[in-house]
Amino acid sequence: MLEFMDYVQHAFYNASHWNFENSYSQLTATARALLEFETPRGLCLNVSSLSSPNFATSYAIGSVGLVDGSLSYLYTSLPLHTTSKSGDIDLHKVIRGYRQIQELRKPDESWMWEQWQGGRRVDKRDTLLYGRLYLPQSTLEALYLRRMSPTQQLKLSAVSDSRLRNGGTILALHQYDVGKYSAETLYSTDGGLIGVRGLYNFGPDPRKEVTEAPRTEDKFYGRFSAGAEMYYGSLNKSGGVSFGGRFATLPAHKGVPLTATLTLNPLMGNLSTTYAVRAGKNLALCSKFDFNVYSYESDVMLGCELWRMKARVPKKKERSMAAKLEWRLDPEEKNPVPEPEIVAGVLKARVDQNWKIGLLWEGRIKELLFTLGSSIDMKRKDQPFRAIGLELQYSS
Amino acid sequence: MAFNFNWSPLTADADFYKRAQEMLTTALNKSPKPPIIVDDILVNELNLGSVPPELEILEIGDLAEDRFRGIFKMCYSGDAFLTLKTRVQANPLNTYLFSKPSFTSPQPLAASSGLTIPLQITLSEIKLSAFIILVFSRQKGLTLVFRNDPLESLKVSSTFDSIPFVRDYLQKEIEMQLRTLMMDELPAIIHRLSLRLWCPEHSAKEDQEMEAKKPEEDEVVVDPFGSPPQDAVDARGNVLDASEISSMTLDGGSEIHSLFSQKNLLRLATLTDSQRTLSLFTPSIRDAVFRAWAGPSERSDSAGSSTPATPSLMRSHSSVGSTSTTYTFNRSSDDGQGHIPSRPSLVSMHSATTGLGLGAGRHSRSHMRKKKTRVVNLRRTKTTDDLTSESGESETASIVAVSEPVAPTHIEEEPEDNIITPPHSPSQRVRFRTSSIDLGDSPRKLRLSTSEPIVDHLPVEEPSVPIREQRPAYTSFSTYTQEKFSNSAPLHYTPAPVLSDTSSAAGSIIEQAWVMKMASEIARRAQDEKATSQGFWSRDEREETPPPAYAPKAN
Repeated sequence: MLEFMDYVQHAFYNASHWNFENSYSQLTATARALLEFETPRGLCLNVSSLSSPNFATSYAIGSVGLVDGSLSYLYTSLPLHTTSKSGDIDLHKVIRGYRQIQELRKPDESWMWEQWQGGRRVDKRDTLLYGRLYLPQSTLEALYLRRMSPTQQLKLSAVSDSRLRNGGTILALHQYDVGKYSAETLYSTDGGLIGVRGLYNFGPDPRKEVTEAPRTEDKFYGRFSAGAEMYYGSLNKSGGVSFGGRFATLPAHKGVPLTATLTLNPLMGNLSTTYAVRAGKNLALCSKFDFNVYSYESDVMLGCELWRMKARVPKKKERSMAAKLEWRLDPEEKNPVPEPEIVAGVLKARVDQNWKIGLLWEGRIKELLFTLGSSIDMKRKDQPFRAIGLELQYSS
Repeated sequence: MAFNFNWSPLTADADFYKRAQEMLTTALNKSPKPPIIVDDILVNELNLGSVPPELEILEIGDLAEDRFRGIFKMCYSGDAFLTLKTRVQANPLNTYLFSKPSFTSPQPLAASSGLTIPLQITLSEIKLSAFIILVFSRQKGLTLVFRNDPLESLKVSSTFDSIPFVRDYLQKEIEMQLRTLMMDELPAIIHRLSLRLWCPEHSAKEDQEMEAKKPEEDEVVVDPFGSPPQDAVDARGNVLDASEISSMTLDGGSEIHSLFSQKNLLRLATLTDSQRTLSLFTPSIRDAVFRAWAGPSERSDSAGSSTPATPSLMRSHSSVGSTSTTYTFNRSSDDGQGHIPSRPSLVSMHSATTGLGLGAGRHSRSHMRKKKTRVVNLRRTKTTDDLTSESGESETASIVAVSEPVAPTHIEEEPEDNIITPPHSPSQRVRFRTSSIDLGDSPRKLRLSTSEPIVDHLPVEEPSVPIREQRPAYTSFSTYTQEKFSNSAPLHYTPAPVLSDTSSAAGSIIEQAWVMKMASEIARRAQDEKATSQGFWSRDEREETPPPAYAPKAN
C-alpha cells in the first residue's frame, strides 16, 4: 500500500500533468507490484493529514526493533484537491496492483502554463518539498521536486545519516518526457554515479493529430515500448547496462489485458522475463523467470492478486414526500444505475522456487487502512514464519 | 642454552589441519563480510609448508619447565599456502546499491541484477615479519600476540587474475582482512588450539561449555561474579580460560574486577561514544543502574555500599578512553600475562597524575582513530589504583620498585599478590595492610593519609557533584576525580580519596556513618566553594570528559 506521502506525491504528479509511468524505471511496475511487494514487519501506525491543499504531515510509529518512528512534512506550491480521508480514498489508488497503462497523453504546451497579469508573466513553476526524519536513527530524508516545464521535471533527493560515508548522499534526477519518448539523466554523489535512461514508445505520436482510428479489432491492441539504461560510477570505475522491452495492452483492448516484459543485462548475462495477465475483473496473475547465461542460475516466481469486492448495501427506498402527498407510489426507476462495488480487500500472494511465500492482505476497516502481511519460508520447517506485520494508516 | 623448535610435528598430526581449517573458517565468517561476498568463506586447503619461520630471541622473561615467556622477532617467507572458497557478487552496481538508502537509490531496472560467481582464492608467498610476544604455561596454554602488523606481503591468486581491476581489489580486500585476522583472531585461535593440545581437560570443559552455550545463543550475562564471561579477557587483553577465572573467583581476589566480556566493553564504548556525540542510541547494559534513573535516596545508598565496585567502573571508563594504546603490551614489554608493568622506580604522586593526564588528554584524539575491537587495555596500572586508594600507597610502590631488580621477573601464578590492589572488602583490606606493613611503610602512609586537611579535597571532588546538591557524590568520586583532576589542575592535587580509604578500612558502622557525614559535609562545602569560584571551575569543566552516566549496581 502506498504511504500517504507517496500518495500525495502522486497526486502532485497528476495535478501537474506528469506521466509518472512513462519512464524506463517503471517498465516492470506491474511485475514489481505483483511479485516484489514488501511485507510489513512488526506493528506500524501512520497518522497523516493533508491539513491544507498545500501542506501535509505524517507521523509514523513502529515496533521494529524497539520503537522507532518518523516525522514527515510536505509542502507543495500547487494546491492539491485530492481525497485525503482514509475512509474515502479509493483503494485502487493506494494499492499497487496490475498497472493498466493508459493511452499516451499529449504534453501541455508551454504557453498553457503562462499566466499574465498586467502585462507581466506571474506564473511560477510548481514545486514540492518533502522532509522526513527517522527518529532513533537520526536519519533525514529530503526531496525537492520541481516541474521546470510541461515536459521537464527535476528531482533532488538527499539522505543525511551519520552512518553513511560522507554523512549522506544526494541524487539529482532530471526527467524529460514528451510522451513519445522519455529520457532521464541522473547523478549521485555516492561514488559519482552518472546514469542515463531512455524509453521509446512505438506507435502513434501523441503530439501529432490522430489521422486514423485505433484498430481495436486486432487480436492485440497495445503498445510496445523499448528502453535502455546505462550507469557509470566515475569514482569507482564501475558501471552497468540494461535493455528492456514491454508489450502491454491498452484499455481499449477487447481481450484479456496482459503485460509482458523482457529485460536484459548484457554485461552480467542476466535475462528476465515477466508476464502478467488480468485474468478476471478481480484477479491478476503474474510470473517471472530469471536466467543468467554465465552462471546458469535461474529463478522462478509466481504471484497473484485477488480483489475482493463487496456490493454496496442498497439504500432503503422510502416514499418521497411528494408521492405521499399525492397518494401514490414513486414511479419505478427505469434502468437503475448499478452502484459501484466497493473494495473489501486485496489479497496478494507470491511464491518462488525456494518455497518462500509472501502474503499480503490489504483493505479498510472503518476509517483505517490496514496492511497485514507475512513472509513464510517453507524450507525451514521449524520456523516457517519469518515475519509478520501489520500496518495501519489513518489520514484526514 | 639452546632451544629446539620443531616445525614438522605440528603438521604431522593428521587431525591438526582439519581442526585448523575449522577454526579458520569460523574466524573468517565471524566478522561482517563486505557485500561483495555473498556466501560463507570456506577454507578449502591449508598447508603450513616445510620451511619454518626464522625466530630470533630478543628477550626471555620467564623460563621454567612448564612455563615460558619471551619476545621473538619472526621472519617468515616459506611455502605455506591457504586456499579459500566462496561466492562473490560480480556486479559492481549490485554491491554499490547494497548498503545505500533506498530513498536516494537510482533504482536501476535490471542493470543491478546479480551475478554470483564461485571464487577460489589462493594465498601464497606469505611474507611475515613481526615481533611476537609468546607466553606459555602448561596450565594456561599458549598465548601469542603480535606487537606490530605482521603481514609484509602476500600473493593473492584467484579465478579473476586476468582482470586487473578485480585482482587489485581482491588483493587489497584480502590483505585488510588478513591483517585483522592476524592481529585479532589468530591469538585466540592459537590459544584455543594449545589448550586442546596440552590440556585435555580443557577441551572437555570447552565442549561442555559449548553444549551449555548452544541453547542460549544470545548470551548477555554480565555479572562477573555470578558467571564469568565466555570470552573473558584480563586487564591486558589476554584471553583467560575457565580455570583461571575460577581460581580467581575462589581467591576472591581483585582480578575478578578486570574480567569483562568483550561484548560488554564494546557496549560501554558505544555508551561513552553516544554521550560524546549527539547519537541517541544507548546500548542496554544489564545489572547497571543509570544515574538518571536512581532516586536521590537510592543513590546515596548505592554510593555508600558500592565502593568495592568503583574500581571496575573506573577501569572500564579509562579503557574506553585509551583503546588505541592497547595492543602494545606495555612499555616494558616483558610481561605478557596480565602483569602490571614494572613499577616506575620513583613514582611520586605528581608524576603519576601527569601520566594519567596525558592519557586523559589523549581521549579526544584516540576517539577519532579507528578502534580495535579486541582491545582491552584497561590501564589498570599501579598508578591508577594508587590514585583511587590512597596517597601513601604510591610511596610503598616506589619502595617496592627500588627493592626490585631492574628487569623484574614476576611469578606467573599469583599476579594479584604482586599488585597492591585497591581495597575491595575488609578481608582484602587486611591483606593490603599486611603487604604494606611488610614493606615497613605503614607509619608514613598513615601519617600521610590522615594528616591531609580535608579542605584540600574540595576543589578536587567538586566536579563530581554536578547537579544535585544533597547528593554525597561518593561513587563517582574516586573514579572521576583523577580524570578530571589530571586533566585540569595537577597542581592542586592532594591525594584525593582519603574518604574511600577510611570508609572501606573501617567496616564498622560508626566509621561508616562518619564517612557519610563527612561526605555530605564535603559536598556541602564543595557547593559553597563552587558558588564562590564559579568562573574558574566553569571554565575547567568545559574541557573535561563527561562523567560516566552510570553507577554500578550496588551488590
